[in-house]
Amino acid sequence: MSALTEIYVNNVTRHLPEESRPDIAAEITATIDDMVYARLGEDADSSPDHTATVEREVLEELGDPVALSREYSNSPQHFIGPKSYPLFLWSLRWILPAVGLLAILTNVVVTLATSPDVQIGELIGKTVGSTVTALLTAFAVITIIIGLGDRSSDGGAAETMRKRKSGTWTIDDLDRRDSHSRQIRAEAGLGLVFIVALAAIPFIPTTLLYVGHLNNGETFINPDLGVGWLVGYWAFLALMAAVEIIKFTTASAKPAVALIGGIVDVAMAVFLTIALLTQPVLHLELTNTANADIQQIITVIAIWTIVIWDQVSTWRIYRRNRR
Amino acid sequence: MNEEAVKALATHEQELRRGTVVFASLVACRRPQYGYSLLTTLTEAGIATEANTLYPLLRRLEKQGLLTSVWNTEQARPRKYYTLTDSGAEVAAALHSHWLELDSSITKLWKDGTP
Repeated sequence: MSALTEIYVNNVTRHLPEESRPDIAAEITATIDDMVYARLGEDADSSPDHTATVEREVLEELGDPVALSREYSNSPQHFIGPKSYPLFLWSLRWILPAVGLLAILTNVVVTLATSPDVQIGELIGKTVGSTVTALLTAFAVITIIIGLGDRSSDGGAAETMRKRKSGTWTIDDLDRRDSHSRQIRAEAGLGLVFIVALAAIPFIPTTLLYVGHLNNGETFINPDLGVGWLVGYWAFLALMAAVEIIKFTTASAKPAVALIGGIVDVAMAVFLTIALLTQPVLHLELTNTANADIQQIITVIAIWTIVIWDQVSTWRIYRRNRR
Repeated sequence: MNEEAVKALATHEQELRRGTVVFASLVACRRPQYGYSLLTTLTEAGIATEANTLYPLLRRLEKQGLLTSVWNTEQARPRKYYTLTDSGAEVAAALHSHWLELDSSITKLWKDGTP
């Protein structure tokens, strides 16, 4: 075996599992030798230079050793395969906007609360920078988690097909959970998680978001806020949770349920708008700056953005499912 | 044929060839074959095959239990010979039946569609 062939074979086998390397190396070497000798046999010229030229031609015909190595390797050549790709898209579509909005809201509130004389440029710069970082981090986390999940299931469908004995499939094996129902359940589950998080907001201390110094670690909500407002807030959340539970248990988004959900969302937004515009809802220590009014208005805008986005998404899903 | 049609044809030919090479390799390995001899056999039979896809394919077929291999070190150059196993022979026979049925179906379809 010439040095060139040896290098080529090493290039092929170095990415393959250790135990299969010697056999594959021997096989490729034998093949290269066969190909070279077959070509030399047709030629009268057997000088070392000519042999080297033929060897080079053979190696070029076998092609890129990395590509050949990939052919030998049976591992998937993708990070997120077709089985997990819809989940990946779905996660990006739902989680990234939520993360983006949350990041914008948090940055605006914190910047306005911590800087007594905020410049609009500074506010935009800080918010954009932090939001982009949050979005990239969320994207990376989603990609890594789903990619690793895809790998651990070993291509999912292909492995499932291999595990299933051929010829034993009956109609009882049919996966009756259609993707539409699964998506509704997943969305309802995610909605419930958000609702629980929203319900916990009045109890969350500012120290949890590293801004405890602003109000000595008290909550984000004004402690003097009337109990009626809090009860109303939780009542609306309970209604929203009931709608999500119906969606989850029935795995369907009937027009009536979607309509009730939309009405509850809008009613909740109206309730929050009134609450925010008629009294200090946020803790007074967080809103005692000159920008307190802007904070309230931005919070109201964010609430309506989320509500409108949610209504548009629901309407689009409903329209798609009707087809 | 326009450029898009040529591209589409190349893609479909590749798909067609991929399955054909597996079947042809099983048929050819009814007699013991080493890598290069199989490549030559297939090429001479008119089934164009690339070496860099054929050799990994042989290993995959071996893993599936359709081929068995043995190193022959008695010759001047050591060679790994692949032969059809019993289950490989059954698979090859089944594929052959399917092939004949497909050939007959396509011929009939072609005749029916010919004005």
